[in-house]
Amino acid sequence: MATAANPEPADASGIRARCLTGIEGLDNILGGGIPRGNMVLIAGSVGTGKTTLCLEFLVRGAEKGERTVFFSVTEASAKLIENLSTFEFFRQDLVKAGGLIFIDVPGIYDQLGLNHEELTLEEIDLLLKTFLDLAREAGAQRVVLDSLTSVCYRIRRDERIRDFMLKLSQGLAALGCTTLLVSEIGQSAGRYSLHGVEEAIVDGVLLLGNARRQGDILRILQVVKMRGTSHSRAQYVIELTPIGLLMAPHLKGGRQET
Amino acid sequence: MVDDQSVLGIPELDSELFAYMPPGWLGLLVGHSGAGTPLFAKQFAQAMVGSSPVLYYTTYERTEDVHRAFRDFGWDPDGVQIVNLSEEYFRNVLVHSLEISQLRERGLKLADLDGSRVKTPVPSTYNITSRLLADLAALDGRFRLVLDSLDFFFEVLDQSEVMTVVRQVRHRAQELGGQALLVVQGEFHERRVSGMLEDMADLVVELNARPRGESYEHTIAVRKIRNHPERTRILPVRMTESGLTVGAADPTSSPKR
Repeated sequence: MATAANPEPADASGIRARCLTGIEGLDNILGGGIPRGNMVLIAGSVGTGKTTLCLEFLVRGAEKGERTVFFSVTEASAKLIENLSTFEFFRQDLVKAGGLIFIDVPGIYDQLGLNHEELTLEEIDLLLKTFLDLAREAGAQRVVLDSLTSVCYRIRRDERIRDFMLKLSQGLAALGCTTLLVSEIGQSAGRYSLHGVEEAIVDGVLLLGNARRQGDILRILQVVKMRGTSHSRAQYVIELTPIGLLMAPHLKGGRQET
Repeated sequence: MVDDQSVLGIPELDSELFAYMPPGWLGLLVGHSGAGTPLFAKQFAQAMVGSSPVLYYTTYERTEDVHRAFRDFGWDPDGVQIVNLSEEYFRNVLVHSLEISQLRERGLKLADLDGSRVKTPVPSTYNITSRLLADLAALDGRFRLVLDSLDFFFEVLDQSEVMTVVRQVRHRAQELGGQALLVVQGEFHERRVSGMLEDMADLVVELNARPRGESYEHTIAVRKIRNHPERTRILPVRMTESGLTVGAADPTSSPKR
């Protein structure tokens, strides 16, 4: 029986069902995709491709007929969609058909009167319930929250963030959602989230970053943690191309500057 | 000799006090339940109709009830600019809160967030202080202003903001030779706040109604007249067809209303 912690239990061979990201190379790195129901932190500094990775994850799911939801906190979805039109992998028809739903979180704040800079306990619960209600109504199987950092900024206290994330994780997993949470971190943060609490709660952490090599800045991806699967911890170079993200092993030859 | 520009609006009281609300003054009317405070406020307002602009701000009565009260006593409401701050506040602020409460109760739906189909309630920029002060700023000469009551400001603003409003009203009255009367409930405020308000006011009047036998004894206490402590006094008041008047009630007669 599915539970909040593990909505799609291991099959007879003991392997949990996987959510194929559809991103070239990533599923191999993850040993066949993200275990379904996992909540994964996509951590990285500015310009490392976090949002693009998340959006491709949703698009690939929607292409397979899954319902997907993008909760946008930091950027108006209309602008996001406009920017996405430069990518060939993005399909407007998926949005029109309701397979890819964009929700502006500031709209939630406005409609529910969540105007305090620091949300109260009651408001945090209300926000959590709203995320889950909307994901349930959408029948979402894939959810992205971009960014978790912005939401946590208004929750502030570690214990409340921990509680919020545990409930969010359990709630979304119970709905059968595989979830990516964007975490904005500085170049030399030394951790994967704003408070450090977030990375302990999630099932997985994908770290995106920049590396300099021979004068070039390369985008790098590394799977730091992923519960429910064995995975590579090697660094991979990401290429953001019009057809989506491409990954290749990060060859360590040459002079490494970072 | 009664100065027409300084009248409070109750002829007998004006005679008694030599009409002591000169241009440029701020008055504080302290009321108690059943003492006739809103009637005093309206009587004060009507006294200057035709002489200068009169602004009457109500925070708890319906506009039509204010009009009716003026007419009941033979006063002309058309000569008074009646501003219903509570209605404005409800329309601009509380309606939004109600919408929020409804949405919180039933939970947000995807359709609520579809900008093309559903209107997002726009948080109101209505500010009760700005509303009042903008009207004051637009005046360019003598005026008479009644705010019934300042208690509403205390309900929706920080105390320091309310005091700022009072100072601004006083400053504007002094600047233009206007007269402003602010109404407060006697039991509503802690002593420190009452003290600050009374300090700022040039005139403090308190209306009381105390049970006496089977009826009430109404009194008006003139507690402060700036620079004229000798004129402070307590006088009996009664209600007549033409409003409040000073003098003990005649037990054999009652007002027509």
